[in-house]
Amino acid sequence: MNSINPAAWRAFAAAIGKDQVMITEEDRNAYADHFAADESKHEPAGALAPASAEEVREIVRIANQYRVPLWPISRGKNFGYGGSAPVTRGAVVLDLSRMKKIEVDAATGTVLVEPGVGFFDLYDHLQSKGIPLWLSVPGNSWGSVAGNALDRGVGYTSYGDHASRICGLEVVLPDGDLVRTGMGAMDGSPNWTLYRNGFGPGWDTMFCQSNLGIVTKLGLWLMPEPEAVAGYDYEFDKPEDLGWAIDTLMPLRRDGLIQQSPSIGNWLRSAAVMTTREQWTKDDGPLDDKVVAAIRDRFKIGWWSVQVRFYGHLDVVEASMRVLDRAFDKKPIQSKKPALWKRGDPPEWSPVTGVPVSFPLANANWHGGRGGHVGYSPVLPPSGDLAMDQFKRTYALYQQYGMDYHASFAMGERSLTNVNQILYNKDDPAMMGRVDSMFRALVADASAHRYGEYRTHIDYMDLVADCYDFNDHALRRLNTRVKDALDPNGIIAPGKSGIWPKGKRP
Amino acid sequence: MKRASLIIAGLALCAAAVGAQPPPAKDNGAQVVNPFRGVMQDRSSHSPDEALFVEKCGMCHRQMGMGTVLLARRMDPAIARLEQRDDLTTDYVKLAARQGIGNMPRINRGEVSDVQLDRIAAYLAKGKVP
Repeated sequence: MNSINPAAWRAFAAAIGKDQVMITEEDRNAYADHFAADESKHEPAGALAPASAEEVREIVRIANQYRVPLWPISRGKNFGYGGSAPVTRGAVVLDLSRMKKIEVDAATGTVLVEPGVGFFDLYDHLQSKGIPLWLSVPGNSWGSVAGNALDRGVGYTSYGDHASRICGLEVVLPDGDLVRTGMGAMDGSPNWTLYRNGFGPGWDTMFCQSNLGIVTKLGLWLMPEPEAVAGYDYEFDKPEDLGWAIDTLMPLRRDGLIQQSPSIGNWLRSAAVMTTREQWTKDDGPLDDKVVAAIRDRFKIGWWSVQVRFYGHLDVVEASMRVLDRAFDKKPIQSKKPALWKRGDPPEWSPVTGVPVSFPLANANWHGGRGGHVGYSPVLPPSGDLAMDQFKRTYALYQQYGMDYHASFAMGERSLTNVNQILYNKDDPAMMGRVDSMFRALVADASAHRYGEYRTHIDYMDLVADCYDFNDHALRRLNTRVKDALDPNGIIAPGKSGIWPKGKRP
Repeated sequence: MKRASLIIAGLALCAAAVGAQPPPAKDNGAQVVNPFRGVMQDRSSHSPDEALFVEKCGMCHRQMGMGTVLLARRMDPAIARLEQRDDLTTDYVKLAARQGIGNMPRINRGEVSDVQLDRIAAYLAKGKVP
């Protein structure tokens, strides 16, 4: 699959060097979605790996000349959402993973990263220089710091809403122009990563989950190492405990006592990472109550589990713990396990203290063979009753389609995000068919309640975008008008987030 | 069930084996209260090639990496880390990286160039010929 004009490949090679133009069959396979049953569905025509924003600009100019669709990736580790693969087969991946500059300002707790900087890279950088700043990492920290923030990824600490910590971008626009947002718009400003707004309209969120430009630098705020981290790991015995647990925590989240997003998730989270399904049952179909009980017994966990953590000065953290204790006083929890880390203690070494990890991705092996997952994550109001209702409906669909329920509810300041990782075996065609049908049923179910997904896989971007339907899809019309104005040749990531260039909408 | 216990014990072992700064042993092998604790890996290196391995592969193939965890299900956990193996050849390492293997995705040339992969393969093969 390679319908790109050969002259375009030659021009790209002249611009960035022929070694950075990757168009063999092996290259095309390597940039496909390795979680997909049919990897050819989103197979790119090849990949380009520039080393600088100037090279990105040159590539964009050539792409305009030859009408080459580009699919920018930071590090391409957005597993469960398509990895490095483009929505449209035959697009050219613009792989920014060679761009790895890190500029930390230890005094202000900010960093300016290029897209190729991974969480491990930044962690190593801070550790090697002894800079007392902590990361917020996602469960798979193999990916890009910038890419994750731009895709609105989340972590475990009070800096876990990564997009909200972005401060200043450098962006190559679809015509090759180079712009800096916020205070970066003033050449040489010392405030680029310190003050978001600059003067006039702000554009940072325009480049989140979008196809309106290529981010080549991203400013991000990092958490100063706190004096203490404390909290509890709570376990809850019954499915119906979800409702009151959320109603207990949400007021504390809303009033600011809890600064991170506690994520209350079910028993499969641990089991899928630590074990495989065949260790529990030989039966197909959803896991029965006996198996669920065995899993819970092994890991000493509840039907639901949640970690709550406070970060900051020890006095404040201790006072926060007392408030949390009062909130759960006489509530029928199964168990709680306190956690306390103080500056000077040995490192706590977990994602809640900003340590990057990759092993949670072992859950791709839950079904034994080559597995994967697809994320289904509708957003709903912060109500225990609504969460219980959402859980029951979703659980029933998992049962109906014979899949293992794997979900959590992450508590934002004013919302819940019901993150589902639907685990599958990609070499089981019957299961893959069920996964697709179930996913579509789940989206329809959420939409019927007027809940939209916050993020989705490249297979489902149109499906999810269709749910945002106020005034006959006015948001799509706006996105399309902006797309056409900035990218008239439609070269940047056609189809990303359901935004298509003129004449290309399927 | 016995196998599961072994794996969990293996994970606890990995977590305890990070070297200079062992994490607090909060998990005791049989009971994994918080599988996300004690997960840091040794990121140190003693040569440029080892440093390249750490940068490109360590997140999955050192302590508590996804690759180490999954390989511990298929072989003696004592050699689940690639650097502990003495049976790797340069050709095998390069093939596994480029073709993918099991749950390991293919590693593309943007992330690890051919020249870099040669160095990593030589490091893991410890001088063995293909």
